[in-house]
Formats: sequence, C-alpha cells, structure tokens
Amino acid sequence: MIRRKLQVALGACALSLTSAVVHAEPLGSHQPLLEASLGARVSKVADAGYDPFADSDELAQVSLGVGGTLFAHGRLSLAAVGFWDYGTHSGEARGAQTSLAVHRLSIGPELRYHLIPQLYVFAHALPAFAHSQASLDDGVAAATRGAEHWSYGLDGALGAAVEVYGKRSGESWRPRLWVIAEGGYGYLGSTRLLLKAKTDSSAPERTAPVDLGSLSLAGPYLRISAAVSF
Amino acid sequence: MRTWAWLAGGVLLVGCGGRPSAWDSPYQPVSVGQGLAPAYGMTGAVAVVDTSLARLTVLRSPSPLTLAAQSIPLGKDLATAQTSADRKTLFVLSRGVQPQRNPGDEPPQLLLLDGSTTPKVERSYTLTEPMDQLALDPKNEWAVLYGSSGVVVNPNELELVDLSGTGNTAITSKTLRSFGGKPNRLTFTAPLAVPGGDPKRFLIVERDSDLVLIDLANPSANEVTVPLPSTDAGGSATSAQVVYDADSATIGVRVTGTTSVFLLQLAAPAQAGQDFSVVTNLVDVGGLPATIDFVHNAQGLRLVALVGTSAVLVDPVTAITQAATMPVAFTGIRRITDELNPSATAPNGDVALLYGPNTTQIAYFNLGGAPGALYRSIEPYDIGVSVKDVIDIPGSDFFDHKILETPSHDFYVLDLTNRQSAPMQTQTGLTLEVAPDGDRVWAYQPGAEGFATVDFQTLHPISLQAERGVTNVFDIAAGNGGRTAVALHLGIGEPQGIGATVLDALAPSTATARFYSGFELGGIR
Repeated sequence: MIRRKLQVALGACALSLTSAVVHAEPLGSHQPLLEASLGARVSKVADAGYDPFADSDELAQVSLGVGGTLFAHGRLSLAAVGFWDYGTHSGEARGAQTSLAVHRLSIGPELRYHLIPQLYVFAHALPAFAHSQASLDDGVAAATRGAEHWSYGLDGALGAAVEVYGKRSGESWRPRLWVIAEGGYGYLGSTRLLLKAKTDSSAPERTAPVDLGSLSLAGPYLRISAAVSF
Repeated sequence: MRTWAWLAGGVLLVGCGGRPSAWDSPYQPVSVGQGLAPAYGMTGAVAVVDTSLARLTVLRSPSPLTLAAQSIPLGKDLATAQTSADRKTLFVLSRGVQPQRNPGDEPPQLLLLDGSTTPKVERSYTLTEPMDQLALDPKNEWAVLYGSSGVVVNPNELELVDLSGTGNTAITSKTLRSFGGKPNRLTFTAPLAVPGGDPKRFLIVERDSDLVLIDLANPSANEVTVPLPSTDAGGSATSAQVVYDADSATIGVRVTGTTSVFLLQLAAPAQAGQDFSVVTNLVDVGGLPATIDFVHNAQGLRLVALVGTSAVLVDPVTAITQAATMPVAFTGIRRITDELNPSATAPNGDVALLYGPNTTQIAYFNLGGAPGALYRSIEPYDIGVSVKDVIDIPGSDFFDHKILETPSHDFYVLDLTNRQSAPMQTQTGLTLEVAPDGDRVWAYQPGAEGFATVDFQTLHPISLQAERGVTNVFDIAAGNGGRTAVALHLGIGEPQGIGATVLDALAPSTATARFYSGFELGGIR
C-alpha cells in the first residue's frame, strides 16, 4: 500500500517536473554569469586538538565567495567558484589564554541545476588550503607561544540558492540577490601543534616548544550566504 | 518549512559537542602540609602531582637535556604519597569517592608507580575504607595504611599490605587492642633473631602510652602490647625513639620524662600459643637521654644513651651501666661502622659519629679497643658550625661520605675515611637533594633562581642560575645512561603551570640548559 502511494507520488513529481521543463522560460540571467557572496560558515571540529582553543566544537568563519559560470546547457551549468573563510576562536586552556585563527581558501568546480529560474541546487568538491595560527599565553615562560601551519584537504557540499530579488524576466541583466545555503564536509589533514615561544619574548633561553598533539580542522559544515549575481 | 527544519537540524549538528572539563581546571601546585608534596623524585622520573585532574604528570628524560611527559591517572581525593626508600616506587594513597552512592563509585586505593626511566603503574590495591596515612617498609616488603577518615573512625585499625602479593589477599586488616592510645609512629625492623625460631621481622607501633609488636611473618596473629613506664614524676610517658638490635632481638625505647631507658628483650615463647615472649627492663642512665642507639664495644652489645656530656653504655643483659665522658654535650649519634673502610674500623667495636645542634664540634666515638675496654677513643673535631642532621649518601662510590646539615645556611661534606670535612657556604637557606646514584648533591632554596651542585669526587661546587624560580631539584637517570637534573618551576607565573629547567647532571651548565613548560596541558583527551 505504502509502496503504491510512493509510486503515485513519484509519478506526480516526475510529471510536474516534465511539465515545468516543457513550459519553462529561458533562464537568461537567472543563470548567474558572475556571482559574489558574503556569508558565514560554521564548522563542527570534533578533533581533540581543537579543545585547548574552544569550549565547544564549532568554528565560525566569515565567508567570501566568487563564482562564474563556465558552461551552461539548459538548466545545467558548470561554474568555477572560490571561497575565502576566516575565523578566530579564543579560549582558555587550564587558565591560559589561547586563540586560533584559521584562513581557508577553497577553489574548484560547482555543478548547478535550475529547478525553476529562481532556484537552483548545486554540488561542489573544492580543493582547500587552510592556514592556522595558534597561540598560547604561557605563564611559566612569561611568553606567548605560537604555531602556524598549512594544511590541505577537500570541501564537498550540496546546497541550494534561492533568488530573493531580481527581475522576473531572464532578459534583464540587472543584479539579482540570492540566498545560498550549503552543507557538507570539509576535510583537512592534521597538523602538529608545537607551540614555540616567540623569539622577541622574554622566554628563557632554549625554550622547548609545548606539544599539544595534533590538530585537524576537518568536520561537517554549514554555510549560509547572500550573493549578488549578474 | 522543510528547508528551515533542515537548517535548524544542521545548526544543531554543528553546534553540539564540547571538550573535557579538564581544560577548565587550572593547575595549582599542592600546598605543603596536605599530606602531599608538589613533586616526587624517583630514580628515573619526576612525578608532579596535579590534584585538579587527579593525575600525575610524570617527567622522564629520554636523553640528557630532554624531557618527555606522560600523564598517569590517580584515584580521586588524594590522601598522601611517598617514595620508597630506594626511590624506585611511588606509593599514592587515595580516598576515592566518599560517600559512595553507586556501585561503580571509585573505592579507596593504594597505587604503586614504577619510577624507572619507563614509568608506569605497577599495581594497585583496593581498600574498603578510606585511609589517610601511609608507612612504608624500607625493605619494600610492606606498606601500612592507618588513620581512617570515615564517619566512624577506628584510629587503631591498620591495613597491612604485603607488597609481594596482589589483590585483596595481600591486605590484612588489623585492629590493635587499645587502652586509649592511637598509632603515632611505625617502625619496620630487620629480621630479629628471636630465640626458638626463624628470624622475624616486626612492625613496632608507637602509641600514646604503649608499644605494639606485630609479627610480620604472621600479621593476623595477636599482637603484643607493652605498656610504657611512667615518667619520673609519675605521669604518663610517651615513646620518643625506638631502636633495635637484630642479632640480640633487643628493642630499646627512649621515653619522655624519665631518666630511664626501656629495654624489651624478645625471647622464646614462655607459654603455649605464643610465637615469642617479651622481657622488659628499665635502666636508669642518670639523666634525660637526648638520643639512644645500639652499639658494639669490646665487651659486646651495648645501648648507648647520650646524657649531657656522658655517653652511658648499658649492658642490655645485666642492666649494668658505664659512662664515657664526652668533650661536649652531643645530642646526636650515627653509627658509621659500615661506611668506613675496613682498615679504619675497629675490629671489635663500632665507630659512631657524635654531633649536635648546640655544639660546633663533631666527634668520632671509637668503641673498639682491647678486650673488656669500654671504648677506644672519642676524637673531637671543631668544624665551626653546629650540625642539625646527618644525611647518608646512597650508592657505592661515596659510601664513606656524609653530609652534615647545619641550622645555618652552610653544609659540610664529611669524608669519614680521611676524616676531612669540606664546608660549603651558601648565601641563603637551602634544601639538599642527594642524587640517587650518590655522586653529587644539589642545593637550592625553594623559590629562588639560584641553585648549585657539588660533585663528591672533586668537591667542586657549580653554581647555576635558572631563569625562573626553582621549587625542587631532582637528579634522575636519563634513558641513554646519562643523568639529568630537573629544576622544577611550579606555581610560577600566572596562570600557574608545570615548567622545568633541564641540565646534564654530569656536566651542569646553564649555557646548555633547556627550558620546558606547559606540561600541565598534556595528556588531556
């Protein structure tokens, strides 16, 4: 019974989609030629190496993105997109002030499909490069310790973009405003956290680094952006 | 609507999760006087107590000038800790979760930590009741726990832990018959040659008004309680010192408020059911003794009691006393027969070092001599300062050396064989830490940045200046066969942490020393 209902629902869906395609207007500028976005990315970093810097697992970052359509065929298009995410988190590790600043640059292809002119879904897999800068105020050494690392990985996500402002006609080339939401998994390799005293600090001679183990900023993430397209 | 539900779910997914609460517990060094020390030095590692996280941060040295840390969890609510006499093991007593609310709540336990260059938990013993105090057998055969801290406390309950065993069968609970006193001090004897059986080791428990003897070969057997004599004024006395002679199975007790010494002779069983009997004797030595010890002179075994300027020698068999006149009123005595070269040792008697905090002299009390002689000589040396304590030097290299600790800032390295004393002068008060290998001593004043080492071979002091205040100095074996000096910096700075300056103990120099900190942040996962 349930299977039959499901089959009916799927059939209705396919029919309405076919109908929409048949009656669709040309996408025109609904299919963004260029797009710039500003938003926020929140990652869940479950790695224990993140604990000294935050009392919860989330890492919030401001996110700037740009993209451009490279190829379009009907409702399907291929774009090149790139994001720069930046965020800091301060915390305390057993009373010592800590902070972590993370820059993340990801760039790669994004596949888009317009369900209707004002809504498209997308998927992307973007090679990512992250630069993390960790610091620790060491009371015994009376110095700030720091560690900087590059790490590499991949951001894979699915998302949707809704046009919230713009001319209905695809022939208009006036700017359009989109709200974009995506969720996925950002993989980054782990880096060793060896926090060295800064050379200009008052730390004792030959101060050995503090070994906080390894840090991996990999984890699921959610990004919500507002974008302007042309 | 569904999109918003998806978004809300996503936010929840991203937002949940936290970190171990340990990250929110700052490190604070243990205050001295809580039954615990901030750190313990062992043969191959240094254990820093981190009560906030109920763990030890154990520092070891894979090679000179390097330190590595590992965390070893301890039981909850630490009561006390002690290193064994040979410093190979750290004993940690914890009370566990009190009161217990759930079957899984952690019970009180005694944990043994191997203090070698590869430190690890050796074993643990689970206790039924929380205990506060720990007494360790110098031969590492027994540990005794006492001073319960429950709602109802039986101060005369002892938990005797046979360290050769494991599990509950290794623990013997024993409640001492009491006449109102409680254990004050515990002494583990060497095997005493009690007539009528094999040599026995005893645990002597000094209580307020009596002594208790527990046969360690049969700890569950009834103990023997021996009341102490009254003071000369008729009041109740307490024991001030217990000494024993293994070969004659004789125990001597210095009792407060009396001019007499109390002798206990362990003898063959006097009646059925006994493993041994006790014959007591009270011998007047003519004044309040400052200290007592057993010695051998040409006449045989004697108990020597230092009374004013007299060394009164008591024959424990006949109770006959004879006095030797000392040049000054020494109050301390230390047998040094075994530490002297055979050529310097009187063939038929002991040699003892006499000292005291009220005289600038020390003396060699040679108890040998012709057959029947009371003693051969008392040879005084004026070293210019008084002596508070005599510190033994372990190992085989400098067994004939002693460190004389003075009430002032100075200390002396005394070569017993050559009878030479080397004064070491310091600017401030100091704490001495003899290296477990017996080749050098470290001197420091807790909190000061300056510290020093003296090599016993050259007697050359090397002064060192750390860049942070030094709270402890330990000399440990390094993993590659060298030795490492670890000058700890605990409770320094804000926030407080665990730091250390590390030196090559065999060639100490701050020009090559390395500084470590942040050990309190390790091992939290």
